[in-house]
Amino acid sequence: MLSRVAASFYWLSRYIERSDGILRMLKINYASSQDTADGFSWEPVLRIFSGRDEELITRLNNDSRAVLKYMVLDRDNPNSILNIITLARENARSVQEHIPKDLWQCLNEYYHTVKDPKIAAGLRKDDPFGTLDVLIKQVMLYYGTAEITMERGQARSFMNIGKYLERAIQSIDILDVKFGPLNSNPDLLTDITYWKHLLMSIGGYELYQKTYRDGLEAENVLEQVILNNDFPRSAIYSVNNIQRYFDRLKNNSNVTTYREISFHIGKLQSNIKYSSVKSIGQVGLHQFLTGLKDDLYKIGNSLNEYYFANS
Amino acid sequence: MYESQHFEKYNLINGVWDEMYNENHTVRDHYQKVISYLGQESADDLSKKEELAKRLFMSQGITFTVYNSGEGIEKIFPFDIIPRIITAAEWDFVERGIKQRLTALNHFLKDIYHNQFIIKDGVVPIDIVYSCPHFLREMYQLNVPYDVYVHIAGIDLIRDYDGTFYVLEDNLRTPSGVSYMLENREITKRLFPDLLPQCGVRSVTEYPSILYKNLMSLSPRQVGNPTIVLLSPGIYNSAYFEHTTLARLMGVELVEGRDLVVNDHRVYMKTTTGLQQVDVIYRRVDDEYLDPLVFNPNSVLGVAGLMGAYRKGNVAIVNAIGNGVADDKATYIYVPDMIRYYLNEEPLLKNVPTHRLSNPDEREHVFKNIDKMVVKKTNESGGYGMLMGHAASQEEIEKYKLEILKDPRNFIAQPTISLSAAPCFIQGALQPRRIDLRPYALCGPDGIEIVPGGLTRVALTEGSLVVNSSQGGGSKDTWVLS
Repeated sequence: MLSRVAASFYWLSRYIERSDGILRMLKINYASSQDTADGFSWEPVLRIFSGRDEELITRLNNDSRAVLKYMVLDRDNPNSILNIITLARENARSVQEHIPKDLWQCLNEYYHTVKDPKIAAGLRKDDPFGTLDVLIKQVMLYYGTAEITMERGQARSFMNIGKYLERAIQSIDILDVKFGPLNSNPDLLTDITYWKHLLMSIGGYELYQKTYRDGLEAENVLEQVILNNDFPRSAIYSVNNIQRYFDRLKNNSNVTTYREISFHIGKLQSNIKYSSVKSIGQVGLHQFLTGLKDDLYKIGNSLNEYYFANS
Repeated sequence: MYESQHFEKYNLINGVWDEMYNENHTVRDHYQKVISYLGQESADDLSKKEELAKRLFMSQGITFTVYNSGEGIEKIFPFDIIPRIITAAEWDFVERGIKQRLTALNHFLKDIYHNQFIIKDGVVPIDIVYSCPHFLREMYQLNVPYDVYVHIAGIDLIRDYDGTFYVLEDNLRTPSGVSYMLENREITKRLFPDLLPQCGVRSVTEYPSILYKNLMSLSPRQVGNPTIVLLSPGIYNSAYFEHTTLARLMGVELVEGRDLVVNDHRVYMKTTTGLQQVDVIYRRVDDEYLDPLVFNPNSVLGVAGLMGAYRKGNVAIVNAIGNGVADDKATYIYVPDMIRYYLNEEPLLKNVPTHRLSNPDEREHVFKNIDKMVVKKTNESGGYGMLMGHAASQEEIEKYKLEILKDPRNFIAQPTISLSAAPCFIQGALQPRRIDLRPYALCGPDGIEIVPGGLTRVALTEGSLVVNSSQGGGSKDTWVLS
C-alpha cells in the first residue's frame, strides 16, 4: 500500500474519532450548563481543544452558545467540527479508489449536514441537543458503514490504529484537565455532579454505576477511565486495540521497523496494565498521564516516519 | 412533418448540418428509433430523466470542484440526455482517418527528435519546430518503446455545413474527458433501459482494458507484474474524478508526485513496506511540471530526476514527453503534408484552412476578413485566448490585433466553421445545439485501436460555437451504430 494512502486512512480515522469525542463532550457539557445555577465554566473543554488560548478561554468561558458555535462551525478554530470533517473528507477523497462507495457517500453526507444552515440555526437559537444529536448520528452512521463495508486488510488496520490512538489521547486529556483543579479546589473530590459529567461526556456513566455500587468517587473514576478493559474509552482498551491492529500489519511490514513500533506499543501496554490507582498516585497523576501521552505521540511519530514516509 | 410534440420548437439552423434532420426536414434513418422512443415519452417524463441524470452524477461524486474563497463548490459537467448518433459508415471513415493521421504524427515525432528528415526535405519549416515552446531538446535522440510517442490521442472533429468531417485539433499530450465517455454511457443505460441494444449501439467498455494492456506492454523490466501507476496532480485538479475512475477501472495505483522518488535513475513509489520500483507511468501532469530538475524548478507536482530515469529507459512515460510540438496549432497546418510525406497517402480527414499570422500576406488577409475568422493562440487550449470574429466588438478586435502584432508566431486564424447541430433537451423541448466529437485513440505495439464512441461536447447556449466545458459547454452520450 502507498504510504500516502496509509497516512490518509490513519488521519481520516483520527479526525472522525476526534469529531465524535468533541460532539459528545459538547452535548453533555451543554446539559450540565443547564444544571448549574452559578455560571457554568467551559474552561476544561476549551482548554483541551482550543490550543490553550487564554484570551479566548476567558472570553467564551461562560457563554454556552458562543462555545457551541466556536467548537462546531468556526472556520478559524482548527479543531471545529466543520474543519475536522472537511479534512477527513479531503483525506477520503484522495483515497477514493480504495474505500467503499458507501463509506465515501456517508462522509459526504456528514460534511453536507455540518454545512446545512439548519445546524447553525439550531446551535444559535433552537435546540442544541437535537442539533448535536443529528451530527452524532452521522458519526455513528459512519462507524456502522465502515464496520460493514471496509475490507479486512491493511487499510482498516491503519484506520483502527488512528481511531484508538486518538481515543486514548482524548480520554487522557479529559482526565488530566478534570483532575487538574483538584489541587487548588479539594471540594471537587466529593462533588458528585462533577464526576458524573466527566463520565457522561465519555459515555461511561452507566458502566460506572454497574461496576461501583458505592457512589461517585474520584479514585474509581480514574480506575475506570484508565484501567477498565471493558470500558471502550479507557486508555487500556484503546492501547490494546492499537496493539491488536498493529499486529495485523506484521506480514506487510519491514521487519526492523515493525519490531521497533511493536516494542513501543508493548511497553506502553504493560505500563498501563501493571499500574494501579495506588501506584499512579505514587508517581503523581499528572506525571503519569503526561508519560502515557508522550508514549502515544511517540507511536504516532514512528508510524509517520516508517509507514507514511514523512520523515 | 414533426415527429412528436417535442419538436415543435425545433428550428433548423440555416447553413448548418443537422445530425438528425436532412435538408428535406425528415429524420435521418439512424435517428428513427430514438425519435419514435422519445415520441412515447411526455416532456415531463424527459424532464424527470434529466433530473435523474443530475442526481446520479451528483451522488456518485462525478463532479469537478471550483475553488472559490477557500471553499470548494462541487459542480457537475452538464449532461444532455439525448444521445448523439453516428452511423457505421461515418464511423468507419472517421476511424480510418484518425488512424492515418495518428500514424503520421507518430512518425513526425520520431523524426523530429531524431534525424529531422522532414525539415531537411523542406516539408515543415524549421522555424515552426524550433519556435515551439513544447519542442524539448531533452527528448533529442531518445528512443521510446516501440517508437510510440502518442499512446492516447483525443483528436477533435467537427462537421461543416455539408457534413464533411474536419480535424479541429490534435490533442496529443494529456487529452482528458474519456471518463465522461464511459460514465455518460452508464447513465444512458439507466435513463433509457433496453434502448441501446434495440438500436444496435456498440459498446465502449473495453477502453480501460485496452489501455491497461498497452501500458503493460511498455514495461522496461521483463517481469510478470510490472508496477503501473497513474500520476495525478492531486485532489485539487479539476480532472481528479477522471484520474480516480481510470485508476479504479484499470486496477492501477493512483499516485501523486510526492509518492514517487528517483534513486539511481530508477523510479520508486513509497509504500508501507518500503520502496517499490515503478515501471510505467501514465501521467496526467503536463511536461513542464514533470521534473523540477529539468523543467519548471518550482513544480511540486512532479518527481526530481524523472527525466533522467526516462532517458535511461528505466521507466516508460505515457504519453511521451515533448509531444506538444506535434499538436501545436502552427504545426497543425502541416499535418496533411506529413501524411503525404511519411505515408504517401492522401489525407482522409481534412484540416480546417488555417492562416499563419507570422506571414505578413496572410495576416493582411485575416485582418481584412476578421469578422469571418476565429483567431487562436497556438499554445492554448480549453477555449481560452480565442477571438471569435463574428461575435467580437470592434474594440475587442483592435485590442486583439495589437496583441497579435506583438508576437505573430503565437497566433493562427481559421475561417469560422459552423459546427453541426444535434437535438438537445432544453427547457422541456428539443432544440438544436452545436456539437463536436472527440474519439479516443489508443496506440500500442499492436497498432491503433479506437473504441467506437467518444465524447460529444455541446455548446448549450443558443447560437454559441464554443463547446469547452470551461465556457459553458456540456456533453452527450455518443452512439456508434453497428
